[in-house]
Amino acid sequence: MIAARVCNWSAWSPGLEDPVAWRQWASNPRELSGEGRPRADFLPAMLRRRCGTLARILLTAAFGCCEDVEISELGSVFASRHGNINESIDLLQRLAEDKPLSPTRFSHTVHNAQAGLFSIASANRQPSSSVAAQQDSFACGYLEALTLLERYPQRQVLLVMGDVPLAPDFASMVDEPAGSYGLALRLEVCTEDDAVTFGIAPGDTPTSRPPWPDAIEFLRWCLSDEPVLTLGRGRRAWHWQRNTAETTAAA
Amino acid sequence: MAGNRRCSLVAMSMINALGASAEEIWPRLLAGDQSGFAVREDLVPGVPMIVAQIGTPLPPIPKRLERYDCRNNAILLAALEQLEKPISDVIERFGRDRIGVVIGTSTSGVSDAEIAIRHRHETGELAKAFRYDQLEFGGAANFVAEWVGVGGPSYAISTACSSGARALATARSLLALGICDAVIAGGSDSLGRLTTNGFSSLQVVSNSITNPYSANRSGLTLGEGATLFLCTRDPAGIQLAGVGESTEAHHMSAPDPDGRGAEQAMRGALADAQLAADAIRYLNLHGTGTQLNDSMEGAAVARTFGDGPSGGAAPPCSSTKPLVGHTLGAAGVVEAGFCWLTLREAGTDGMELIPHVFDGVPDPEIETPPLVAPGTRVPRGPVMTNSFGFGGNNCTLILDGEFA
Repeated sequence: MIAARVCNWSAWSPGLEDPVAWRQWASNPRELSGEGRPRADFLPAMLRRRCGTLARILLTAAFGCCEDVEISELGSVFASRHGNINESIDLLQRLAEDKPLSPTRFSHTVHNAQAGLFSIASANRQPSSSVAAQQDSFACGYLEALTLLERYPQRQVLLVMGDVPLAPDFASMVDEPAGSYGLALRLEVCTEDDAVTFGIAPGDTPTSRPPWPDAIEFLRWCLSDEPVLTLGRGRRAWHWQRNTAETTAAA
Repeated sequence: MAGNRRCSLVAMSMINALGASAEEIWPRLLAGDQSGFAVREDLVPGVPMIVAQIGTPLPPIPKRLERYDCRNNAILLAALEQLEKPISDVIERFGRDRIGVVIGTSTSGVSDAEIAIRHRHETGELAKAFRYDQLEFGGAANFVAEWVGVGGPSYAISTACSSGARALATARSLLALGICDAVIAGGSDSLGRLTTNGFSSLQVVSNSITNPYSANRSGLTLGEGATLFLCTRDPAGIQLAGVGESTEAHHMSAPDPDGRGAEQAMRGALADAQLAADAIRYLNLHGTGTQLNDSMEGAAVARTFGDGPSGGAAPPCSSTKPLVGHTLGAAGVVEAGFCWLTLREAGTDGMELIPHVFDGVPDPEIETPPLVAPGTRVPRGPVMTNSFGFGGNNCTLILDGEFA
């Protein structure tokens, strides 16, 4: 396994819009809100207009995580359970009504739409992946980020994970904590001593889950002094372990 | 290639418009068979659309996995059933928990969600059989993992038309990281009204079978299918020898007209495989038949292969989309499957290449790579395949080696 660590983070959720707010949240965590979206005024107006709520949230987290590096040089992984599925559902409703589709809206239904908008907004031409894994979407996004570090060990990788609430009628079918959020983590290869160890254990899943998303639980863990984090439901558990006492999160 | 980067493609299965197994599909590919295309009047209102659709019946989804029951997963299952023996071998060798699943898809079960939503439009409620697991991208990978009964990581990669190619790139890295000892990697996409109406709205669908690199080309033809590989670290056999990736920072649904992203992906794959450009014996083009793809890809191929020490000719190239359509999220791995078959079927007289089927009228306005004529044979050697997707996501793969 490659030795990697989180060298910076940034997150956004309604009412939790800077590191100070998140540190306060981490000492008294609670459910996230589903209402609201960031201004994202760092984006050119033309591009911002093409960004839906999820894209605004993810790009806000992504850019917030990269103020101290050349953002165009990073590899990236975008993870999301639902991605733009609300947009696909809307377009399917239009088809049911025999209405024509907008080509622009259709081209934004791809799961990598946020990654594509990020690439344009940051002039980034580096390798980029977009993943989904039902309730394991964060852990698998983290793993996909490690696969980019495996292929490009000299290049930091930006992992961006987030979701917005699923359309009514569909939300009740899914067991997922409520809330709109985005988390960006910058990962890099490091020495074993500094690494966050990542592993998978079969059939060893935590019995209770916090009422906020896995990605945000990971952030809470980064801001805590707990040595080990275990996430997962069902067939396997995902483990992270710090090898140093120091916090892994610089921000 | 470093030993810790080994990715042996020990078995492969496929289903698409040309048949329900590699044994059916391979001779039809060599014959330039276009019998997999059909005209559908029911997809886009008022517009008959030619599509490459699977004609054979699909296996039923078992009751215990009915929450995943959708056409996309039935297509996957048709490919998966063909791999039962090699998969049970690796389960015995490594244990269930050391086997991962990575599936590229851009549609997942959206064609079944379409039925559910039409039902809601008519009755006020979603169709009873509908489950969110059918629609969400990650469902495809977990369906495969649960059907096989493996406990390693399972996830979907969805980067539009490069998804399937990326699934193989990830499989190789999961092996190199030591997370898995075997990976089931592939992709599946299925025809439905969202994609057909969507591409129609973009005005990139041809009204005859796609005719890539022709002066008369008028767009792409959509298709459906699945291909799965079983990947291990075994030293023998056909290997995933190179991966090249890029993004474009250009446009959501159109490639950079210069082909810079395409060139970066091809050069990246060559560097990763530690090969000079003139080592490549065959290139499976992205070759969608749209104006822009073929002009930018032709230019990128000319630059990538034109400045090598040999002074410059690209290898024989073909697009296989005039035979099986553009299978979107599956295309990268569908075409990697064709490259794998090209290597597997090679004999002492070299490799027979899949012909480039078009109207034979090259476009003088673009740089046209050497296109494969029927019956062309080349010496055995590395083969390359290109996949370029919406959102400006590109992935080029190189396969090499002899079937073990």
